[in-house]
Amino acid sequence: MVDRKALATISLLVAGALALFSLLLLAAGKNPLDTYSSLFSSTLGNAYGFGEVFVKLIPLLFTALAVAVPARLGLVNVGGEGQLHLGALLAAAAALACGSATPRWLGIPVTMVAGMAGGALWALVPALLRSWGFLNETISTLLLNYVALRVVDFFVYGPMRDPGSANIPQTMGFAPGYLWPSFTGRVHIGLVFALLALALAALVLNRTRWGYEIRAIGGNPIASHRHGLPLERAIVVVLCAGGALAGLAGTGEIMAIQGRLRPHFSADYGYLGFLVAWLASHRPLRILIMGFLVAVIATGGDSLQLDQGLPSATVNILMALLLFVVLAREGKLAS
Amino acid sequence: MHPDFVQGWLAGAILASTPLFYAALGETLVEKAGLINLGVEGTMLMGASVSFAVASISGSLPLGLAAGMLAGGLFNLLLGPLIVVRGANQLASGLALMFLGQGLSAFYGKAFVGTSIDGLAPLPIPFLSNLPWVGQILFRQDLLVYLMLPCAFAVWFLLSRTAWGLNLRAVGEDRLVAYAAGSNTGLLRHQALFLGGLLAGLAGAHLSLAIAHTWTEGLTAGRGFIAVALVIFAAWRPLRVLPGALLFGGTLALQIQLQARGAQVSPFLLDMLPYLVTLLVLVLLRKSSRGRMPEGLKEVFESSR
Amino acid sequence: MSCSKKIPVVLTLALLLALATGTRAEPKVIVGALHVGSIKDAGYNQASHDGLELLKKNVPGLSVLEAENVPESADAERVMEQMINKGATIIIAQSFGFQDPALNVAAKYPKVTFLHASGFKLAPNFGTFWGNNFEAMYLAGIAAGAASKSGKLGFITAFPIPNILASINAFELGAKTRNPKVTTTVTYDNAWVDPVKEAGAVNALADAGVDVVTMITDSPITIVKTAEARGIHSIGFHSDALAQFAPKGWLTGVAYTWGDLYTKLVKEVVAGTWKPGHVRGGIESGYLKLAKFGPSVSGETKAAIAKAQAEIVAGKLVIFTGPIKDNTGKEVIAAGQKGGIGLLDTTNWLAEGVIGQAK
Repeated sequence: MVDRKALATISLLVAGALALFSLLLLAAGKNPLDTYSSLFSSTLGNAYGFGEVFVKLIPLLFTALAVAVPARLGLVNVGGEGQLHLGALLAAAAALACGSATPRWLGIPVTMVAGMAGGALWALVPALLRSWGFLNETISTLLLNYVALRVVDFFVYGPMRDPGSANIPQTMGFAPGYLWPSFTGRVHIGLVFALLALALAALVLNRTRWGYEIRAIGGNPIASHRHGLPLERAIVVVLCAGGALAGLAGTGEIMAIQGRLRPHFSADYGYLGFLVAWLASHRPLRILIMGFLVAVIATGGDSLQLDQGLPSATVNILMALLLFVVLAREGKLAS
Repeated sequence: MHPDFVQGWLAGAILASTPLFYAALGETLVEKAGLINLGVEGTMLMGASVSFAVASISGSLPLGLAAGMLAGGLFNLLLGPLIVVRGANQLASGLALMFLGQGLSAFYGKAFVGTSIDGLAPLPIPFLSNLPWVGQILFRQDLLVYLMLPCAFAVWFLLSRTAWGLNLRAVGEDRLVAYAAGSNTGLLRHQALFLGGLLAGLAGAHLSLAIAHTWTEGLTAGRGFIAVALVIFAAWRPLRVLPGALLFGGTLALQIQLQARGAQVSPFLLDMLPYLVTLLVLVLLRKSSRGRMPEGLKEVFESSR
Repeated sequence: MSCSKKIPVVLTLALLLALATGTRAEPKVIVGALHVGSIKDAGYNQASHDGLELLKKNVPGLSVLEAENVPESADAERVMEQMINKGATIIIAQSFGFQDPALNVAAKYPKVTFLHASGFKLAPNFGTFWGNNFEAMYLAGIAAGAASKSGKLGFITAFPIPNILASINAFELGAKTRNPKVTTTVTYDNAWVDPVKEAGAVNALADAGVDVVTMITDSPITIVKTAEARGIHSIGFHSDALAQFAPKGWLTGVAYTWGDLYTKLVKEVVAGTWKPGHVRGGIESGYLKLAKFGPSVSGETKAAIAKAQAEIVAGKLVIFTGPIKDNTGKEVIAAGQKGGIGLLDTTNWLAEGVIGQAK
């Protein structure tokens, strides 16, 4: 069932990007083999590193879906970063407001619902602006990313600050009933949720009538009229769904990894998710593969610093090259 | 002698708006050709880092500025084969360019972190700078600030009064018709990318040489994205880019002036202002901008999947 | 897939596996250090780096792994784990935001010792250290108060966290000893490093009449340079490498000198005598010093500073001696009470005379 030709093509493309990156490394006087060696050994070569790849993968899967689902309707959601922050904020608020004796079977769903609500709310304004024809969602979601960061800062430094933490900007630690448990290392149940979300998205988009219709319309108002599907409502539904998914990314990060809400807890997951979605041409299974690849590279960035003395932002180059080659290959077919 | 609040604010607004202006002006050229580069952020970073590096090493500011501009132009051109020749999705390509710019500038810019040079100093204009009240605001800025108005006119002239400009706009409106009329659409679009990149590179150079006097990773802090928003705000008209940049620069400067004068407002709320104001104005001005979007660009937004 | 396509795939996989195994470091004393910014920032991170260099000189056979630009989030845990994987037995986490990540990793590796800068929690293998910046800031404040003709001082910083608020307060108190009417205006830029905002802040403060500016940001170069360009005085922070950027306006600065502290702590760990605790020291312990004075500092001011420094070291002068009111008029330290080094971790107010928000 796996498209072998596509797999071979993807491997070739990845190799192409790696080769280009090697040239750059050589030009800087670094040994590419050493660099790749430390990148892979620190991630795939030991149990901890491998686990950490999954830790990064979990939010990426959510934020990639946050881009891919609206993309089926032709919408460009660049607001994953902001939506995940608002999701985290609302989840944190719920966990702090609902008392500390909550059992897990209740607490965790509460955080998830709150997280999805937060992300969806943050996507609502761009969605409405777009559906009313006021402003394209690309710009509005982008601008709101910056606002979201400050909103979280405002609450964490202000009303939600932990009074017992000596004035450090962070909330109280969440009660155990809300924390998402881990399997091994820091790999947590968010992985299960993310995989379920992927499967659900694939199901809805590819096998339901509604999914078929939104793909067929692709944002074209005339086509939507013909199908009898109200475009305005579809826009709001898919963008808010995307926001909700991104909200889960943020929720997972604070409920499983951080244990409390702090400012700046996201490592660019929103933008990386955008990258992954495009690398994967918005297809759920490919999102899993590309997400894994990007997670490996992103996780490997630290080892570049420790072993090679390169700034960890160097991996951005590799990721950009990957996206370039994939986009170039697909050309006009990228959809 | 000390500027009052309004003076200080306006002078700060003008300075802060300069990099936004140049980047948005460059992006206007690109979008008039029916293309969109979301990665202006990356281009600005390249301009900022290269200009700082070259100016530091050579000791020559003009050389540094030129190098920054050239770096920006060439960097933008990277999009050419991708979006013009291959027709790849422009929004994703732009973001890839942003990542590339972030990574590249961090990569070789590392050697320059922690160093500083004098860079572009303010150039008070004789006589004018002593005018009461306005003198301090308008005429004690650096060279690139003074060149904003001339550049805006130059680009306006280029686009509306030269054959090249008209051809470019035709390409942006309807590529097939332009092609049929004999235009080399591919070349024109590449040229637009290059020119746009020159200006974005200059914007970055202003940040590192005139404002910060140093280089750090990620110096632009999202200004490239703001520039893209400003193009829409200006309804793709070069002459409107300046007021747009001033508005945004004004909110940036307001926030810091309020803090410096002891205003009792949360710094976080103040920080949100620039983005919220931009969003609000974009929504309010939608009628006047919607009709002006180049047709070719509409395609990019409405059919991207 | 045909055979000719399988082979490259198999080879690639084999290559990846080969690369993935990697090699382990040789066992010796390895210290892992995490920096929140760049070690060449002529500021906070450079000061740490310089301290590590001194540590290497003082303890032969010791090697240091340094990571720069480590985010203050859970990502830091991974960096620490990687260092430990490479054989590090001591981790120096040189930024406030690394505390919780370091504690998490400490719980997993009881044999590794964690030294955290400016934290307030403890664990059997986790201790903290900090230089008492507010003492030095008090002395710097004296220089500022003496130098300022307008009576307006400026303080540019990132976030309103306790040790920064304490420093701002100490700065104002020190300045008041020279000019009882002096005010300090605080601006926050929401980032440890944002040169563009910092330049804007200097200009805005200068516009408002401030003529001496100081800062707690990670990379003060831009502020010092911009101040020089505006013709106002500056007082540096973190590293005395800054003086070169403001030959005329430089007054003095607060410089961390972590080398001796690192050496002391690392030697204790190696010898097995280290115990978890909050190591705090001020000027008297050599963890900080005042940078050399600029050309405009008068002899009288230098003498006053030297005197105050001696009194602080001798314990005769306690900076936060009550009654002290905050800038909303509320009394925060009662008459007869003295606030000590604990204020580094608990301050949530700004002193009278400071213009700005504490939250």
